[in-house]
Amino acid sequence: MSEKKIDDAFLHEHWTRPVVRIGMITMLSACILSFLPLVYLYIVYGVYPKLSTAITAWGLIAAVFGAMYFVEPISYYPILGLAGTYMSILSGNVSNLRLPCSAMAQEVLGVKEGTRQAELIGTMGIIGSIIVNFVAVTLAAFVGYSLIKLFPPAVADAFRSYTAPAIFGAVFGQFSLRQPELAPFALAIPIALLIFKVPVWIIILASVFGTIGIARIFYKKGVIK
Amino acid sequence: MSEDVLSVANSLGVWLTAAPVAILTVIQAYLYYKQIYKTADIVDLTHDQLKRAFRAGAITAIGPSIAIFIIMVGLMSVIGAPMAWMRLAVIGAAPTELTAATVGADAVGVTFGGEGYDLYAMSVSWWTMAINGCGWLLFVGLFAHKLEAFREKMGAGDPAWLAILTSAAMIGVFGYLNGRNIIAFNGPLTAAIVGGVSMVILLKVAKKASWLKEYTLGIAMLIGMTVAAILF
Repeated sequence: MSEKKIDDAFLHEHWTRPVVRIGMITMLSACILSFLPLVYLYIVYGVYPKLSTAITAWGLIAAVFGAMYFVEPISYYPILGLAGTYMSILSGNVSNLRLPCSAMAQEVLGVKEGTRQAELIGTMGIIGSIIVNFVAVTLAAFVGYSLIKLFPPAVADAFRSYTAPAIFGAVFGQFSLRQPELAPFALAIPIALLIFKVPVWIIILASVFGTIGIARIFYKKGVIK
Repeated sequence: MSEDVLSVANSLGVWLTAAPVAILTVIQAYLYYKQIYKTADIVDLTHDQLKRAFRAGAITAIGPSIAIFIIMVGLMSVIGAPMAWMRLAVIGAAPTELTAATVGADAVGVTFGGEGYDLYAMSVSWWTMAINGCGWLLFVGLFAHKLEAFREKMGAGDPAWLAILTSAAMIGVFGYLNGRNIIAFNGPLTAAIVGGVSMVILLKVAKKASWLKEYTLGIAMLIGMTVAAILF
């Protein structure tokens, strides 16, 4: 027991603290740097948003996504862990890239969910996905118009429309193998709420924490272990 | 959108000012990469295992990244290449960024990319994309470390429960993501079901042929996508 305690403190010093430091600095830098193109527009063309328009636009967009700023990181946190959360939110595409890639790395290495090993392995999987994703968007930016001609329209349409649904289905299949008892609930909660047109942010919270709640009941009753 | 506006959006100055954020994602990933190598010994992971984890993530990312590539080329024609590059390298998924760019134009009272969408309207679109992204960046930048305490509390110091909790969260997130496609019927529903069934079969096969494991998700995605595209 005492050995584990020392280990935890050691890990906090050598993992958690540097992870938080790197995360805070990079996230806040990204926040400031993302306004650079606007500074360029102002300096070279003298164009910048009027204060009243800027505030209106801010209000309008916050009305659409504002709840997601909190709901997404909170809902994904138990899966991604600390470093995984910083990277996934900075790099985006959480559901179609970061979560599947983190889960796949853990599956391949066969680590136990919820452990420190799983956290590091999942984080490594996310890093692999960020590099591949960065290559893809950089190719698109510089030679996208010429490369896109390599894809027949039918193939491009297939990728555009069906990669996300297919990968969502595949990951759901992968995790349903581990906890099959939870799968029907995880589908029933969002479908019922979607039919009643409940706001999306409520549906995400209800799906994640509802499923966790049901898992807790099953765990206490010994249905799953 | 007029040619003038788009030529400004594709000018060298925008490339140079968009680059720092795009490159920051790689710098951050590199810093965490080094940190993981430093920490691996403490939790009994070998460098070989770390390499395999990196590979698994990279291989799985190929299919979705092709999709992002194709979607991004479409986005470039409306917001210019450098902004599409910056916005899709960070936080954004294409629909989020398009919504923000459109809301920016709405605030000015013009149609996004249409008549009257001038440099001024574009500056408001850019502002809206940036301020929207900062919502996620600020919350996570300032409070992510508090979420660790929240997870520990939920985990209640019970490793067996923490493992189930993690799986349950994953099933919950993907239940929601599939829920949207299930009620969309047809193509998306087919892609999801075929993808899911393929994954289950592939994982069973991979128990005997372990080399297959790191490709399972990529292959399942391709099968689901192909079947849906052929049928619909």
